[in-house]
Amino acid sequence: MAFNYDQYLRVNKMPTLWCWGCGDGVILKSFIRAIDKLGWEKDDICLVSGIGCSGRFSSYVDFNTVHTTHGRTVAFATGVKLANPDKHVICVAGDGDGLAIGGNHTIHGCRRNIDITLIIVQNFIYGLTNSQTSPTTPRGFWTVSQKAGNIDPTFDGCKLAEAAGASFVARETVTSPKKLEKVLYEAMKHKGFSYVEAVSNCHINLGRKNKMQSAMANLDWIDSITVSKRKWDAMPEEERMNYLPTGILKQDTEAPEYCDMYEEIKKVHQGLRKPLTQDDFAKKI
Amino acid sequence: MAVMAAPENTPVWVNTDRCKACDICVDSCPAGVLSMQLEPTSVLGAMISVVYPDACIGCSECELCCPDFAIYVAEKKEYKFAKLTDSSKKRQEAIRENGYMLPEDYKEAN
Repeated sequence: MAFNYDQYLRVNKMPTLWCWGCGDGVILKSFIRAIDKLGWEKDDICLVSGIGCSGRFSSYVDFNTVHTTHGRTVAFATGVKLANPDKHVICVAGDGDGLAIGGNHTIHGCRRNIDITLIIVQNFIYGLTNSQTSPTTPRGFWTVSQKAGNIDPTFDGCKLAEAAGASFVARETVTSPKKLEKVLYEAMKHKGFSYVEAVSNCHINLGRKNKMQSAMANLDWIDSITVSKRKWDAMPEEERMNYLPTGILKQDTEAPEYCDMYEEIKKVHQGLRKPLTQDDFAKKI
Repeated sequence: MAVMAAPENTPVWVNTDRCKACDICVDSCPAGVLSMQLEPTSVLGAMISVVYPDACIGCSECELCCPDFAIYVAEKKEYKFAKLTDSSKKRQEAIRENGYMLPEDYKEAN
């Protein structure tokens, strides 16, 4: 008996609508294995997804699911989490969905440190709408909106999340599904905002015009631009900018979580305690 | 529905309703167990098939890498897997070089 993925899937929606060899399927598999390892009940999980290929996640998993408007995954998930603090809320967004259109929501989700896991499916392109430049597209790549080569500087989502105050930040690639599963497991177990960037392939809309026509060529390219965090730390400064570090990049278990603080607000309104003052917080400004 | 009840004495099995012929599992196999076969009714004109099940070493790479929930590997306690041999490695090289298809006139180099 192999691992039974079907118990977590809406089997009548199979096969998936993703292209052949799409990394989204590997991320979905790793995510399901991580959920199985955590042993959560299906009814206790809410998966929120936005628009894009990654938006299909909510159609395939048999949890409580919300397929929301473009980029507003974190906003919807914040509402779901505040109304159901004992449930587990997971967001899935693409790089365009979570970092461009919904970049503002991502920043403020990180800032509040609310107990949500945000999985960013990072495939370096707007895949669903046929190869427009996304914030993470490397410079010099062909895209349909910059046919002479992309000149926009590349955006590092993990650095953004770290700076904005997310208490768990990690990056992993689809080329190592076991490591991805482990990172997702740690992220979902973590109390506080967890940002996981899953580097994925899009050989159809990124690869075809950038000399990576097959899924394997695109995966090899992903392998060539990612190194583990330990190796990345040992690199000289000028070499680092050509690589993306993978693994757990930040884990802070001390940071106060938003739902816990919201409970205090509830107590104030129930007349159980005095209103909060600056003395209630360790960090004053 | 997927073939989830593991077939008796089978190391690796596929659900051809879900396979999209992306070649990833064939590329990831170290032992030349899997190969694509021409299949005119499939979208990409090919379909996965298990050509040398006896050579499977049970590493589960194909199952982990498959994005479409189409391939499954038995657990190590259920099936006695083979060891990785040189002829398996050579066959894998031949499959990879031939566009992920086992050459028709391929002979085992024993």
